Amino acid sequence: MTDAPICELRGVHKAFDRGGGKLLQVLEDVTLDVRANEVLCLLGPSGCGKSTILRIVAGLIRPTRGEVLYHGRPLDGLSPGVAIVFQSFALFPWLTVEQNVAKVLRPLGLDEAAAREKARAAIRNVGLEGFRDAYPRELSGGMKQRVGMARALVVNPEVLLMDEPFSQVDALTAQALRAEVLDIWDDRERNPSSIVMVSHDISEVAYMADRIVVLSANPGRIRTIVENTLPRPRDTRSAEFGALLDRLHDVVISAELGEVSATAVSPAAPRDIVEPIPAVQVADILGLLEYLDTQGGGCDLYQLAHDTHATFVEVLAIVKGAEMLDLVDTPQRLVRLTPLGQRFVRSSMEERKRIWNGQLLKLAIFRVVRDMLEKGGGEVARDEVVREIQQRFPREDAARIFDVLVTWGRFGELFTYHDPPGHLVASTVEADR
Amino acid sequence: MKVARARLLDRIGTRVWSQGNALTRPFRRRAWVDAVLVLGLCGTLFGLLEFAREWTGTPRPTIDIDLSPLALPTYTFFSMTRGLVAYLISLGFTLVYAFWAAKDPRAERLLVPLLDILQSIPVLGFMPGLVLALVALFPGSNIGLELAAIVMIFTGQAWNMTFSFYHSLKSVPHDLRETSVVYRFSWWERFKWVELPFGTTGLVWNSMMSMAGGWFFLMITEAFHLGDHDFRLPGLGSYMSVAAHEGNVSAMVLAVLAMMTMIVGLDQLLWRPVVVWAQRFRVEETSAAEVPRSWFIDLLRRSKLVRRLEHRYRRRTHLRAPSPPPVPPSPPPPVRPGDGPLALLPWAALVALAAAMGWGALQLLRLLSRLDWSHWSVLALAGLTTLGRVLVSTAIGTAWTVPLGLAVGLSPRVSRVFQPVAQVMASFPAPMLFPAAIALFHAAGVGLGVGSIVLMLLGTQWYILFNVIAGASSVPSDLREAAVAFRMPRRDRFWTLYLPAVFPYLVTGWVTAAGGAWNASIVAEYVTYRGSTLETFGLGAAISRAAEQGHFAELTAAVLVMSVAVVCFNRLVWRRCYRLASTRFSLTK
Repeated sequence: MTDAPICELRGVHKAFDRGGGKLLQVLEDVTLDVRANEVLCLLGPSGCGKSTILRIVAGLIRPTRGEVLYHGRPLDGLSPGVAIVFQSFALFPWLTVEQNVAKVLRPLGLDEAAAREKARAAIRNVGLEGFRDAYPRELSGGMKQRVGMARALVVNPEVLLMDEPFSQVDALTAQALRAEVLDIWDDRERNPSSIVMVSHDISEVAYMADRIVVLSANPGRIRTIVENTLPRPRDTRSAEFGALLDRLHDVVISAELGEVSATAVSPAAPRDIVEPIPAVQVADILGLLEYLDTQGGGCDLYQLAHDTHATFVEVLAIVKGAEMLDLVDTPQRLVRLTPLGQRFVRSSMEERKRIWNGQLLKLAIFRVVRDMLEKGGGEVARDEVVREIQQRFPREDAARIFDVLVTWGRFGELFTYHDPPGHLVASTVEADR
Repeated sequence: MKVARARLLDRIGTRVWSQGNALTRPFRRRAWVDAVLVLGLCGTLFGLLEFAREWTGTPRPTIDIDLSPLALPTYTFFSMTRGLVAYLISLGFTLVYAFWAAKDPRAERLLVPLLDILQSIPVLGFMPGLVLALVALFPGSNIGLELAAIVMIFTGQAWNMTFSFYHSLKSVPHDLRETSVVYRFSWWERFKWVELPFGTTGLVWNSMMSMAGGWFFLMITEAFHLGDHDFRLPGLGSYMSVAAHEGNVSAMVLAVLAMMTMIVGLDQLLWRPVVVWAQRFRVEETSAAEVPRSWFIDLLRRSKLVRRLEHRYRRRTHLRAPSPPPVPPSPPPPVRPGDGPLALLPWAALVALAAAMGWGALQLLRLLSRLDWSHWSVLALAGLTTLGRVLVSTAIGTAWTVPLGLAVGLSPRVSRVFQPVAQVMASFPAPMLFPAAIALFHAAGVGLGVGSIVLMLLGTQWYILFNVIAGASSVPSDLREAAVAFRMPRRDRFWTLYLPAVFPYLVTGWVTAAGGAWNASIVAEYVTYRGSTLETFGLGAAISRAAEQGHFAELTAAVLVMSVAVVCFNRLVWRRCYRLASTRFSLTK
């Protein structure tokens, strides 16, 4: 084993042009290396640019700024030693399993017979021998991903890149595939030497990775890198494994909720947090509050995710939303109802809306919208609000924030929304019509 | 297949019609908007009065077309009004016919295949007979001729709209249907609140297609001659034909510009607002990536006049409709179908329709019995020749549009600019360019045998291009990425990714283009140029010649042969392509 990394990213920035000269900053100052014989996992919420990092390593996307090296040399175009397994499988629907695999060997200069021979061997290795002549649509998600893996492995890549490979596969199959991928990787004599995998599943990365890169979103930045030295094969029920999960949860929570707790001031004073509202439905927040009420007002975050069958990242977003409205607070890994939250849960629907309305107006963005409504005679066009949001949160998806804003505001009876034509109308004006 | 096509159109539409409005957004002044609106209304009123005078005016043996540019707006307005009237008739026909076919299982068995045939046959073949009959029916005025023009446009518009609405009616989701039963909706309430809203999206897109197709027939009917008889109508079509006849190039260019202005104007002032309005009837819960917008609607909203009217209307509806009692005290007994004398109406209509068809068939046979076998064999040969031309024109159209369409569609930036252009080109009625093209052939010494293929191409290649662009811009990005990541060479990428991915779109383009080419053959294989007649051997020429010489038996036989050829080709070739597209080459899993 040599110490020299296979791939390196040095100070990589990436911004996408969203049309009209508007830039969306996706990655900011990412420095990362992929070493020989390791499984490296990228963990983070949606929008943290983990798939973009993967594609930069592959050479599919060029960074806006920064360097990408492969074996110490700047990468120009596609990386010579990688293959990708896609989240959505990306199999050609009009080719059979065998054709799908054999097709990628032809560019390597193999003739048709040799390509078919190698493809068959690869298909045999992933256990799909009887399905050589099947079309992708005849296969289940797990089998499709086996084809995707056979296609990637058949080109003998030094680094295997996997983009959330098991998120569209049912749970049991996913577990089987994880173990199989590790078996294939474990053979030191043969490629792939290393695996880079994108995931949002904490236990998946704890099971598979040697190093876990935790990213935070908007823009994507490396939060921390967690070394995982647990011996393989890993026992997911062991105390050490549990301790690692706890540690990862802590890291993710601080990456997700850190900013809110840091800027929290006394709840009575209007806050001017320039914090975009998370993409959370009102019903989810109500559900969270009701749930906490049944748990005696508080609960462990990890427990919460487990009990509600939601992913940890989703739960964090909901908690974050409720926290912005001062309905819950989060001391360490706990989430519990604030006194206001208590009152909210126990109130009638009318009282709840009154509280909600009052809390919304403590958020800067809703006050901005209220002012815009007043200025426009009780009516304001969607585009104007979106433009305003875009100015305040240049790195965010303004249209998405607007949608959330509309559902929150509607519930608080701050305004209603007519679509089409796409107009916010203040509730006071609406009642007069 | 039809539903998938409607959904496809919907997707294309959302993409195409949501562009190019950034410029008009930032203005807010209101007073002049009102002035423009009032002026526009006055102008429309004046135009309609002119049109009415034209209708009731005494028939002239030949009409004089004034080639001065000042006369052009009037002609354009006449042409547009014919198209719009025909569209309204098509819409009415669609609602009644589709509703009947969807609700009455007995009628369905007759009406749906009939519609399929009507959709396939080249309606231009029926034009001479129709014109003569209607002119004879209204001897004292221009009504007959105007009606003939409108009916011709109608036949070019109605069928796909009817099919779309029929399929929407048949595919109303179960839960909506059950809801309307549980809450005891009457048939009218069910139609108004469930079925019509559900079918609106498909109907709107098909309306746009139909309107575009209708101009084709309008241009031909407006410039129609039958032998020595002049059946021209004042409009853009006749303007163009006179301009070409006199070799007046500037008038020809002006006419083309007027046509383009009309197409773009109707699109912006009528269809886009309708599309935006129809957004509210989208059934999918997920919102479209790009929401269609209309600067015209935004403009109207800035008008104080419109606002005031809107408010008054709202208040009136509020007054008229006080909130209904929460629970109706005694729900009326559900009306069972099949009660009362009204139930006999569909029966009677069905019998009448069947009788008319039977009588028609009998007359047809009597007429055709006059022809001997030599006639039929010549017609068959002519049919094969024209089929060859249709296929060659489709092949040429495919050969150049596929590479271009892929290049355009795969780059979002280029397609954003190019797609509206392709859309206008596809709506532009090619027959308008025929006189000019024929003059060019004449000068270049190209015979009509080859020339007619070019004429067919003029009108039909745009459908293919338009569809390929739409297909290319919807190639899934993960497949494109996989092709790059696994280093597929360019040629491989074309054959294993792009071509299969656009195939379903290509088939839609082919079907439309080939249908258009058959119709075009009637006017392309037999043309009058500066008083002399040019023709080439083919089925289209056979139809035109028989019509001009008044040989009705031959005319009927030729139209019949063409109809059979088109229907057979649809069944044997295009339907298989569609099946292949929806199974093997479908991207939805």
